[in-house]
Amino acid sequence: MTAKAKILLVDDDLDFLEMHKAVLAKHGYEVITATSGREGLERVRTDLPDVIILDLMMEKHDAGFSFSRQIKMDPLFKKIPILMVTSVAEATGYHFTLQEDGYWMKTDDFLDKPVRPDVLLERVALLLKKKTGEAS
Amino acid sequence: MNRPGEILVVDDELGIREGCKRALVRGGYAVDLAEDGAVGLEKVQQKQYDLILMDLMMPGIGGLDLIKKVHDLDPEIIIVVITGYATIETAVEATKRGAYDYLPKPFAPETLMVLVKRGLEKRELRLEAQRLHDEREQRLLELAGEKSRLRTIIGCMADGVLVANLEHQLVLWNAAAVKMLRLSGVDEPGRPLASYGKTESISEALKDILASKDSGLAILSKEIRLEDPELVLMAQLAPVRDEGGTLLGAVTVLRDITQLKEIDKIKSQFVSMVAHELRAPLAAIEGWLDVVLSGAAEDDEAKKAAWLERAKERAHSLLALVNDLLVINKIEAGKVALKMESVQVADIIRKIVEFLKPEADRKALTFVDTMPAALPTVQADVQDMEKLFTNLISNAIKYNVDKGTVTLEASVDAQYVVFRVKDTGLGMAPEQLPRIFDDFFRVDDKRTSKISGTGLGLTIAKKIVDSHFGRIEVQSAIDKGSAFSIYLPYQKRTK
Repeated sequence: MTAKAKILLVDDDLDFLEMHKAVLAKHGYEVITATSGREGLERVRTDLPDVIILDLMMEKHDAGFSFSRQIKMDPLFKKIPILMVTSVAEATGYHFTLQEDGYWMKTDDFLDKPVRPDVLLERVALLLKKKTGEAS
Repeated sequence: MNRPGEILVVDDELGIREGCKRALVRGGYAVDLAEDGAVGLEKVQQKQYDLILMDLMMPGIGGLDLIKKVHDLDPEIIIVVITGYATIETAVEATKRGAYDYLPKPFAPETLMVLVKRGLEKRELRLEAQRLHDEREQRLLELAGEKSRLRTIIGCMADGVLVANLEHQLVLWNAAAVKMLRLSGVDEPGRPLASYGKTESISEALKDILASKDSGLAILSKEIRLEDPELVLMAQLAPVRDEGGTLLGAVTVLRDITQLKEIDKIKSQFVSMVAHELRAPLAAIEGWLDVVLSGAAEDDEAKKAAWLERAKERAHSLLALVNDLLVINKIEAGKVALKMESVQVADIIRKIVEFLKPEADRKALTFVDTMPAALPTVQADVQDMEKLFTNLISNAIKYNVDKGTVTLEASVDAQYVVFRVKDTGLGMAPEQLPRIFDDFFRVDDKRTSKISGTGLGLTIAKKIVDSHFGRIEVQSAIDKGSAFSIYLPYQKRTK
């Protein structure tokens, strides 16, 4: 099933969008893209992806957060795993955490940009496995 | 000081005068003579005597009167009264009025000499006492002067100074300290420091520094934050000791570091912003290289080349960003002394248009140049003008629509030559306009996502215009385009 899983990439930086697409497509994933949070939400509704890879800072500084909050609050979509990627780093003062009670991190995983291709593939595979595990 | 030995004899009897003189000169004293009170007084006025021998019974000014008049001139002068048998009472009266002693007639020279010697010793003591008294007065005056000098000096200091004793009582302060700490009632010194205002943080530090009884020199530094209005003070406390090393109190020096703190904050905000702006393209470059190295392109050389080309583009934009940062840094540090010369800015603009033509041709843009031929020259730095109009015209190209127009206009008013760069491009919303000269601000939306830029072009433009005492204005409407007006001051030619 992993071979045909559908991945949604949401990022306003076209370079990251395309490099992640290249890596994932080569490994047999079906990749759809969006360059803003708003477009991303539309894609979630129309294409129902298996995993979302989401950039934190887009048109607004916290566009990624509000996007993920909306997904996680929607009963139809909250099971879709979200992998947050960002290049903001600690310099901005944002505190990233994967804890359940962490208000900011309503995502399932978190990686610093740039994400190495092997790491990206590994994490996506993990999230898909987790999702199918929960579903069955 | 010489030992006292100047003696005046005032007597109307020649015999007494001469007799006294003989005996006294033999004894080593300098002697003057006067035959009555008036002459005697005159001599005292002209010369300082140590001792006066005077007859009480004289024609003219009597002895009692003379005593008073002489003492008015020199209160320390020794007066010995010579008196006849019947006038002992008068002699006693004379001593009451200030005479040192009396000598009844007739007297033996030896008695005279003993009395004179004693009198002169007394004179010496009196003079010494006077000298010591004068010296002390002088010292007190100097001390008072020293204290007021010290006050004047610390009063002029921009740093606040507070001195407290072991009991934490305020003993010395200056106006700056009063202002910084907003102290009240300092015209009554000597009360505990805390009674003058909010000085808890200083009192605390004072306790610490006064507790360190060891004689080693200790300095305590502490940052103090005051609210309303917000003030950050650097307080440095040091113990004050006497020559023997005994602790007397502590001096606190206060420096207002509010502005330094503010600059520090702005600096770290800027560094963090720059770090983010540098990190994004670097991450993209590394990402593309990772993708190529991971073998994702397999044997597709064209794909590989395309990806490397993307990495190169980001590297190129990163370089442009670093260059822009260096330009800003140079302008702000004032490192580049502007090379001001008379410049025909329209010529520079036309040169830039020529240079950027290939870029404009790719979008099939039309340039419209309506700048009049005879514009006044302005005093400007050529390189700066090139950078300024390159940024503006390049923006007019980048943010234009295909087959759009870039219009270059110029006009002259009383003070300025005004250059206008107009495009028919994307335009900006009113709420974006106030921010367009901010560092790294870019109008970031779907329409601009494919346009590359450092976000520093207009920052640089504004800094250049400011350094030329001009101003920059912008008019813009979404989907209609933007117009940037540059006002550069010129000097009217005096004919």
